[in-house]
Amino acid sequence: MQILAQLIVSGIAVGMIYGVIAFGYQLTFATSKTLNFGQGEALMLGSLVGLTVVAFTGYWLMLPVVLAFGLLQGAVVERLGVRQAIKTKSESGWIMATIALGIIFKNLAENIWGRDAMKFPSPLPEAPLSFAGVNVLPMEIVIVIGAIGMMLLVELFNRRSIFGKAVVATANDREAAGLMGINTSLVITFSYALSSMTAAFAGVLVAPVTLTGASMGSALGLKAFAVAIIGGLSSGFGVVVGGLILGITETLTGYYLSTGYKDVPGLVLLLLVLSFKPSGLFGRASIKKV
Amino acid sequence: MLKVEKLVAGYGKVEVLHELSLSVPEGKLVTLIGSNGAGKTTTLRALSGMIRPQSGRILLRDADITGLASHEIARRGMAHSPEGRRVFPALSVADNLLLGAFTRLTGTRGRGRGRGDVQRDLGRMFDIFPRLAERREQLAGTLSGGEQQMLAMARALMLSPEVLLLDEPSMGLAPKLVEEVFATIARLKAQRITMLLVEQFAAAALDVADFGYVLENGRLTASGEAATLKNDPAVRAAYLGQAH
Repeated sequence: MQILAQLIVSGIAVGMIYGVIAFGYQLTFATSKTLNFGQGEALMLGSLVGLTVVAFTGYWLMLPVVLAFGLLQGAVVERLGVRQAIKTKSESGWIMATIALGIIFKNLAENIWGRDAMKFPSPLPEAPLSFAGVNVLPMEIVIVIGAIGMMLLVELFNRRSIFGKAVVATANDREAAGLMGINTSLVITFSYALSSMTAAFAGVLVAPVTLTGASMGSALGLKAFAVAIIGGLSSGFGVVVGGLILGITETLTGYYLSTGYKDVPGLVLLLLVLSFKPSGLFGRASIKKV
Repeated sequence: MLKVEKLVAGYGKVEVLHELSLSVPEGKLVTLIGSNGAGKTTTLRALSGMIRPQSGRILLRDADITGLASHEIARRGMAHSPEGRRVFPALSVADNLLLGAFTRLTGTRGRGRGRGDVQRDLGRMFDIFPRLAERREQLAGTLSGGEQQMLAMARALMLSPEVLLLDEPSMGLAPKLVEEVFATIARLKAQRITMLLVEQFAAAALDVADFGYVLENGRLTASGEAATLKNDPAVRAAYLGQAH
């Protein structure tokens, strides 16, 4: 029983990371019906930039730098890889373009920071706290709070500020939003910036408990994509649950079955969701109007 | 106020409007009537930048706005209540209205126009459209068709526009609601709001308008004072036959 509790607690932290990255997928999908398939690389770059900056500033002061870097990186991805595809109403141009940019970023990182995984200094004690025999790393608590906090802030921005409402309006009906005087191309650039920012933030949250390196992003980005599909690309709440489901099933399978099969249940779940509820467990079914 | 010179526009290679010229004087209500597929909606879409004109000129207060993006045209004071209402379904009635005033709230409205008090205008919309006041916090997607039409018009008015384009405000509404919509348009006209109204209910549109144009297959076939057009035998036969 204690082991089960321990596994679930460990799964929660990983799951929240998946959730935040998946949340980033949702942000761009809402405004432009496109996704950044280099989202994992945005996370990796955020983490490595963080690693460089943290030596000078310490962990907490490093955060705003990484967030700003994430914003910039996302805007670059949109401008180079996505904008033209949207303009020409290309159905798939952005897929290849964002994958290509992801590979380029990964190569760039390998050349700057090398290919090896590196230790990321933890801002908090690395000795686990014990709650009724269940060990929790202080950093794992930060991950959960940070991930939820980030999503709540974006939600709050969307609901309360006129610029956030403009983002929702663009997501609802891009043409009508233009009639309101909203520069919807800029909104889409902004949603990419925000999406990469959340990924970069996830990168510096997770790095102290894992390791960091040029190849850390690919698997995370892919799994978060599965989470976005499981939870639904249109449901903010769904990605948290989807992330937790995947995170927990992974740790459970890793322990009870074999770490070799760790990735299988999540992907099986993905296939099941795609077969029986393609809009995601919590997604609204989208009916394409003709 | 709004002047259109030899406008050519369409979709892709298909030309829908052939050298259309019309003008909407300040404070006047001008209506554009014609049968289905004549190009009425295309005209409005070209005016507000939803489609890019192939040639011709569009002047708003003597400034050339031809070929600008729709958000730039909105920032110059053109409001468009589009065909099919196009309210933002996931946002509340109040948020839809605030977005109508987006250019004013964000200071992106050109040349210092449309400043005024957005909150006061919001109150005014709720006076004109009491149904919207009752549903202020409700999501726009849950409104009835008539209420959505009211919201689309109110949202356009929140821009505090120089010119208001109204596309088929009566479409799909029950007869009683159609009357209500036209009564509202008459009230706006009394406030000297410059409007270009596209309508299939030609008789009702000509009753309320100052001036009318008749559009057929992308070309103007008649124009004149609304009262004169209404008595024109050719117009009567083609567009007013069933209605009167």
